[in-house]
Amino acid sequence: MPVNIELKAIHRRVAEIIIDELKLEDVTPDTFNPEMDLVDELGIDSMDLATIALVLQDEYKIVIDEDDYPRLKTVRLICEYIEDKIATRH
Amino acid sequence: MTANPPTSVRPDRPKFRDLLARPDIRARWEKVRKYFFLRESTYDMTNRCNIRCDGCYYYEGDKPFAAENLSVPDWRKLMRAEKARGITYVVLAGAEPSLVPQLLEVCYAEMPLGCIATNGFKKIPEPVGYKIHISVWGNDETSEKTRGAKHLLQKQIENYRNDPRAVFVYTFTRENIEEAQGVAAQLVAAGCKMTFNVFSSPVGYAGSLRHDADTLLKTREMMLALLNRYPRQVLFSAYNAVAHTSDRGLHDLYGCSYPRRNPSQDIGLGRSFRQYRTDLNWDRSAACCVPDTDCADCRHYAAGSAVVTARLYRHVGDEDAFKSWLDYVDTYLAVWVMGYEKGENLCNKIIHPPRAAAG
Repeated sequence: MPVNIELKAIHRRVAEIIIDELKLEDVTPDTFNPEMDLVDELGIDSMDLATIALVLQDEYKIVIDEDDYPRLKTVRLICEYIEDKIATRH
Repeated sequence: MTANPPTSVRPDRPKFRDLLARPDIRARWEKVRKYFFLRESTYDMTNRCNIRCDGCYYYEGDKPFAAENLSVPDWRKLMRAEKARGITYVVLAGAEPSLVPQLLEVCYAEMPLGCIATNGFKKIPEPVGYKIHISVWGNDETSEKTRGAKHLLQKQIENYRNDPRAVFVYTFTRENIEEAQGVAAQLVAAGCKMTFNVFSSPVGYAGSLRHDADTLLKTREMMLALLNRYPRQVLFSAYNAVAHTSDRGLHDLYGCSYPRRNPSQDIGLGRSFRQYRTDLNWDRSAACCVPDTDCADCRHYAAGSAVVTARLYRHVGDEDAFKSWLDYVDTYLAVWVMGYEKGENLCNKIIHPPRAAAG
């Protein structure tokens, strides 16, 4: 994956993964609000978040430490986290 | 010198999607993940009990001094409020819930998923469709000695024979390991399901039931022997045996996620779990599944059901570890959720609990 990967592409892919893993209806990657609080507003719990984190690890070949899960509260924060990890890896 | 945390995955570590590629693993994963919505809290129902056991958790600490609230409308209001804040599963315990059937009924009417922890001496009415965990601490002779109750096992079996709600929970102490064989044979002959617990000392406990390394090892061997002998009636797995009989307690092995040991309120049990006392109040600093247990000695089955289950991330480092975790979650659901049927264990090897960093 190139270092300068577009944030927009990560946003879209993260939203796709969340929609797919949580089997969300009535929302698409294009309409997914990146600021929506996944815990407070979407109601996901620790096991769902762990599952999403594992899929993201596969996707971006990064490590998401379990201590970092609470930071991953919105799509925007997840994307920033992934960007940081990719940058550190390179 | 401090090692830098890994930022990229180990090359030998399988991808999560590769772990899920095997049909049997995928099927079990899909089966258990349907229950990720379960969010528990626990409730002391009454401060009375009809027997008195050595090492009882309920009568340690200040829980028994909370006033009883026997008001059905108050309990209904509490259950509705719990549902509104996202709780989907209730554990009704302390001291002896069967003594307040009217409260069990109102809880069940409002919150249909849950479990009752009982000594089994008095039968809980059948319309209360929760799982029922009947505590067994040995054969009748031992029960009379440590619990002051005559013919307890016989009475428990009479009450719950062939009852799909019932799971008999055999608590291994350092004094009753061998007699588990006879008790298991009795339960199996009566068509009862059983699982295992490990005595975990209450804070300050100085009695004779506390395990040591030798009795933990013997307990593990007995658990595995009974699991092999009665694979359909014993709800357990090899990994359950490992997790609960290690010389290190559950908190040390996995990091307990209950509020008492977990200051984070961001997500998971630290965010949603409460342990209500009989006056319907709760205290975050004391909130865990079995309050007043000595955390360093905690190997309690209820604790593991949440603490081990929550550590999915640590168990994806290799296929056997993931299969073991799936067995553990499958066992947990079969023990705690009405209608959930346990599958055949996927991994019968002894897998040691993975360390925190699985990258």
